[in-house]
Amino acid sequence: MKTSLRRELLDHGATVVGVADLRGYLSGEIAHLDRAVSIGVGRRLNEDTLSLLVKLQKRAVRFLKARGHRTLAIPPDSDRKNSTFISKLYSLFNHKMAATSAGLGWIGKNGLLINPDYGPRLSLATVLTDARLSADVPIERCLCGSCMICIEHCPSKAITGSEWSRSSPFVELVKLNACRSHKAAKRAIDNKPNCGLCINICPYGRKNQAPSIKHISNKISRTGSLELGVSRLDII
Amino acid sequence: MATDEKRAELIAKLRNAVIQYDEDASKEGAQEALDAGLDANDAIFNGLVSGMEEVGRMFEAQEYFVPEMLMCADALYAGLDILKPHVKQLDLGVKGSVVIGTVEGDVHDIGKNIVKMMFDVAGFTVYDLGRDVPLEKFVEEQMKTDSDLVCLSAMMTTTMTGMKKVIDDLRKKNPNVKIMLGGAPVSQDVADKYGADGYAKDATNALKDAINMIASLKKMKDEVEAKKAK
Repeated sequence: MKTSLRRELLDHGATVVGVADLRGYLSGEIAHLDRAVSIGVGRRLNEDTLSLLVKLQKRAVRFLKARGHRTLAIPPDSDRKNSTFISKLYSLFNHKMAATSAGLGWIGKNGLLINPDYGPRLSLATVLTDARLSADVPIERCLCGSCMICIEHCPSKAITGSEWSRSSPFVELVKLNACRSHKAAKRAIDNKPNCGLCINICPYGRKNQAPSIKHISNKISRTGSLELGVSRLDII
Repeated sequence: MATDEKRAELIAKLRNAVIQYDEDASKEGAQEALDAGLDANDAIFNGLVSGMEEVGRMFEAQEYFVPEMLMCADALYAGLDILKPHVKQLDLGVKGSVVIGTVEGDVHDIGKNIVKMMFDVAGFTVYDLGRDVPLEKFVEEQMKTDSDLVCLSAMMTTTMTGMKKVIDDLRKKNPNVKIMLGGAPVSQDVADKYGADGYAKDATNALKDAINMIASLKKMKDEVEAKKAK
């Protein structure tokens, strides 16, 4: 069942799909739905990533329901309507936790999910279910190694350099206040709160980027990439 | 008008949409019901609400848990939003306006929202004050809207004591208003002690109580119609 679900989602536009066994990781209200289907879609500029994610979620829900299982779709973080009843429960759940548990990546120094092939350029959504899907192997700790590019380029010096691991998920990776105040300052200048440098700069997965972004970020990172270990050069 | 067969099919679709917490199917079913010329009241009470009654039963039997129940409520609302503008006002002989809110210091409002939904469905005018509502606000709003019923909700024992003050103030200003309490720490004893008229057991059971309320409303509606028929 897992293979056909994965194939169905990949066929319809998902970039990566993983299944996590979250027994013991969920709060009481949702603990009976202990398998998570983690869906990642490659972030491309000017494309409607969100609507694709929502469509994929609905597809996964239909697939599982048709086989008699329960589901709870947790929408992407940037698409949460707070007017619904179920939205009260969304805050009990963290997409990145599901993604690392499903072996899709680790939490990098920049606090984002880093996938070995796509880096931090994935948007995530999760479908919880009680179907007994076989789980993928979780990734246990940060695999960024000695890479410091995002720390050096962060305009607000918000990245602390601490390393994440599944056994200590609550270390402070990013000083949120510093990051937020930088975004607010940006908004005041040119009306756009976007920063995203720590996404653009990450050497992981740059190979698989859309060409337009690749061009820009190559320019940014030429200096940074020199400081990388030899083992990373093949990725860049 | 829709044939009996078509009606049964649409009613079943709405009912299943709620039970299967399928928002899209609920919207679709509601639209189809309107297109087929089905009576909106019929679609709401025998379709959506009947589905929610089944959900209440499943919740009690622990087949469904809180997330499923909340999603079912969302599905019901999705259909209700479409059907509601077409409802002919129910003639129940009950004046329907309610002030509802979670008392000061308390931000837990899932139970309150579900009870509110049921009042919505029943055709009451609902003045929802939201959560963490200053105690004076209840009295003010009741006076302003001249509502017949005030519903107070609290999740914590520390905020529950605020209900007593609201009840005392309400009684002073308007002895005739009915007051209902709900929330985890509230019991029939507390309701009696505070001088409330009614009590809904707790946040999760509030749904069932609200359903019972709707069921009795439905009964009243049937009786009214039966009288008319005579």
